[in-house]
Amino acid sequence: MTMSQSHERTPSDPHVLDQPWRLWATVAVMSTVLMGILLGVVVIPVVQGRGAGLDAFTAICRALGLLPGSPAQPQPLDRTPPTPVSQVVWTPDVLQILARADIAKGRAKVQEVCIACHGEAGVSPSPDFPHLAGQSGAAIYKQLHDYRTGSRVHPQMTDVAKALDESTIPDVAAYYAGQPQRNLNPVTLAESPRAIVNLIELGDPSRNIPPCAACHRAGAGGPIEAPVLAEQHAEYLIQQLKLYASGQRRNDVYARMRLIASRLIEEEMKGLAAYYRAGFR
Amino acid sequence: MRNVDRLCLAHFWVAFGAFLFACLIGTWQMWVRSPLGANIGTPGQYFMSVTAHGVSMAYVLTTFFIMGFGYFVAVTALNRPLPGRLWAWAAFWIALLGVVVTIIPIGLGKASVLFTFYPPLTASAWFYIGLVLVVAGSWIWCVLMLVAMSAWKREHPGQPVPLAMFATVANAVMWLWTTIGVAVQLVFQVIPAALGLVQTIDVGLARTLFSWTLHAIVYFWLIPAYIAFYTMVPRAAGGRLYSDTMGRLTFILFLIYSLPVGMHHLLMDPQHGNAMKFVQVLLTAFVAVPTLLTIFTITASLEIAGRLRGGRGLFGWIAALPWERPMVLATGLGFVMLGFGGFGGIINMGYGMNAMVHNTSWVTAHFHLIFGGSVVIMYFAIAYEIWPRLTGRDHMSLAPLRMQLWLWFVGMMVMTLPWHWLGLQGQWRRVANFNYADPIIAGWGPWVVVSLVGGFVLLISALLFVRNLAVLHRGTVVAVPRALYAVAVHPPKRVPAALNGFGLWNVLVLVLMVLAYGFPIAQFLIEPSPSAIVHRVR
Amino acid sequence: MSDARHEVDERWILRTELLWAFGVGVFIAAALGMILFTALTISVNPPSNVERIDPKALHLSGEFAEHNLGTTVSGDGTVIVRAIATQFMFVPQCIAVPANRRVTLRFASPDVIHGLLITGTNVNTMVIPGFVAQVHTEFTRTGDLLMPCHEYCGQGHSEMWATVQVLPENRFKPGSDGRVSCAQR
Repeated sequence: MTMSQSHERTPSDPHVLDQPWRLWATVAVMSTVLMGILLGVVVIPVVQGRGAGLDAFTAICRALGLLPGSPAQPQPLDRTPPTPVSQVVWTPDVLQILARADIAKGRAKVQEVCIACHGEAGVSPSPDFPHLAGQSGAAIYKQLHDYRTGSRVHPQMTDVAKALDESTIPDVAAYYAGQPQRNLNPVTLAESPRAIVNLIELGDPSRNIPPCAACHRAGAGGPIEAPVLAEQHAEYLIQQLKLYASGQRRNDVYARMRLIASRLIEEEMKGLAAYYRAGFR
Repeated sequence: MRNVDRLCLAHFWVAFGAFLFACLIGTWQMWVRSPLGANIGTPGQYFMSVTAHGVSMAYVLTTFFIMGFGYFVAVTALNRPLPGRLWAWAAFWIALLGVVVTIIPIGLGKASVLFTFYPPLTASAWFYIGLVLVVAGSWIWCVLMLVAMSAWKREHPGQPVPLAMFATVANAVMWLWTTIGVAVQLVFQVIPAALGLVQTIDVGLARTLFSWTLHAIVYFWLIPAYIAFYTMVPRAAGGRLYSDTMGRLTFILFLIYSLPVGMHHLLMDPQHGNAMKFVQVLLTAFVAVPTLLTIFTITASLEIAGRLRGGRGLFGWIAALPWERPMVLATGLGFVMLGFGGFGGIINMGYGMNAMVHNTSWVTAHFHLIFGGSVVIMYFAIAYEIWPRLTGRDHMSLAPLRMQLWLWFVGMMVMTLPWHWLGLQGQWRRVANFNYADPIIAGWGPWVVVSLVGGFVLLISALLFVRNLAVLHRGTVVAVPRALYAVAVHPPKRVPAALNGFGLWNVLVLVLMVLAYGFPIAQFLIEPSPSAIVHRVR
Repeated sequence: MSDARHEVDERWILRTELLWAFGVGVFIAAALGMILFTALTISVNPPSNVERIDPKALHLSGEFAEHNLGTTVSGDGTVIVRAIATQFMFVPQCIAVPANRRVTLRFASPDVIHGLLITGTNVNTMVIPGFVAQVHTEFTRTGDLLMPCHEYCGQGHSEMWATVQVLPENRFKPGSDGRVSCAQR
């Protein structure tokens, strides 16, 4: 007796019960997904492509994302030349450079160049020159580069920045970023005006103004170059807001500060500056 | 008899504790963004709350409930002690540690990235590590479910696995498949970015990997409710399950078709073309099938019960059903919510209509109704049903249970129906405060307040739910042993291996995932998207 | 049917389940058929434009540099809108478009995930850093529409929105450089 004869298959044998299931389940599932692929990858793009004057191959490539554009519409072409002004780009390399900055070299350069206006500890004697103590290293880095390229213009800083060696800029930025903030001449606000606190914490949706804290508070997850505003000279902050509002200062990427500043009224600028001057973050 | 009572109770109390907490802060969220709460609460607080609410409801309530329920089913449906009980406790502690590790950064404001994490917004690494621990605990649970079923099959060769356990293991298998997406995203992309090991992230790939998990996870949450429908409701109603085979098929269809459809969460995304979007939409249509089949099978089962109790005429059996029993009441209310929510889901699937509702309040309304509504109400019913068996104490009266279920239903409808309407009008999501001075937005204000009222009703219901369970721990009425699981009209004597195991289905799932997700993921490996700088939320 | 009969025959069960399943199949086929039909006849599609662009250098790029944003009418009459979605503003904040003409809208993000919709229209897209999001549409009604950011992008998300001014044909006049700005009110 052969092995196959001794293992006769009965109808209730699980293997026999199972075969039609294995077969038909596979057929059903495969036909659904293959039908989906046939329709989605071939039929729909080709038919749509005909309406847009595209050949089948292009239409299918577009539908699969191998070429840009929709299989159903012509794709606009753009030939605008890239902007010639070089500006700061936050790439991983730049962030690495900032992270590896040499603070000792930065101190040396500061004592040589920056100390007169910005102070050795980053505390400036005059509201014409901003405090830099505890300022965001990325913010200082960007402003120095923008002075060099002309994206931001200042009678003194433009020349100072151009004279700096490219490699010392991250060091200077890191040095000042590491300086502790010391609130010289602290001012206590008699009261925190509700309207100002609301602007900082809640923004103003009716004017498209996001909360200042959404970008300027550390750890908010906003733009990398957003500067720290706490304990800054109030007059300096007001001056910068006015420069943004008039469009004279244009190095905010995509005009965000220009748009916001142009919607603030004078009282608000003063109130915000006083609030930050008093050290609130 | 059972060696898992304390294990189940531990899981359930973590789940329901997180649930109550999430209901509290959810109500706060609704108040703050309504016209009544203008200028109260900062965006920082709001988005911290949204993150905590989402994590508690979507990851803690669900995972812990499902694990606890799974252990209960493995012991009671298979009538044998749980194998590897020490592993089960280890899984519990690992997952609970994960919850603690996650909730701390959220509370410190270092993790306001919402429960769907939006890279390149990157939270503290501990937030993600905690969630990985929760998933790790749940993987141990999956293995224990598979081991329990295999051990039973060895002791009962050729016999059909009890439906409740078959469905639980289908759920476990599906969970193992679906967590691959988020696990890869977290381990290889997001956690390295959060730890500062990399400064950029491929957002297109991250979103695609997350979408892999995003659909099947909701079926992971939903299947326990369906387990109750098939294996508990017919018994509670006093009838029989219309078709055991249909039950098995339903869970198998969920396993196959809930996985390769995640891209329908990315229909409006620019990193995929419409070819693969269509393929996954077509497969999405098939995941609607098991729900539609279930509605028939369970309604038929209820009809049997109704007629057995003397109901006459075309609809007379409906009134004859024992609606005073929480399990039956919850099913009725759940089916109504399932109807509305499921209909909304079909709309989301059609991408022409999806374009009208994507990221509006319609989406929020949809998942609160279908998950918070029809699924969670069955979680309540399951808890009410098995708590006496776990504590040995019975409910003194069923009236507070019914009251709680009705409050949940009414609250959910009042909260979500206006949200659907607002979504159609364009009200968008994740807003801490609206500008109610704008004329368009001002018109939405009254509906937002109506929703808020619904939210308060839900909070009351949640408090009552916890009370109804807590009192049993010091209850005086001794629980009378009763049968739990339903019997089919024609209990199967033999089922094909395809309906008794997952070998064939795993192969088909693999094929489907390769066909549906192979190219969409491979495209990022062949040509990575230009990466985006990480934005740290610290 | 006898009401006293509570024993249901196995074949009856199978038949009713299959009948219902057939009905379900018809429903599913109808839903898919509608999607397929609209895709083939009037090109109803989810946005389908897979176009990679480096988000880190977006402000240096040709197309999405600040001076090139807004509405442009090219030589052959196609209307293209280019806008940036960034934390926490759309740039430009007001976009002028013509009524009853095909418009192509192109969006990019230099930082995080954003999303947008235009109320009362079928414009709805995510804006993912690394990709250009493109939608084609036709605005049918004149007036001011709201274009909010609808995806969580950080703490300023709630204040991020733009206005879309749909201008009738006679008020939609491109300048010599082909650009159209919002009418000042």
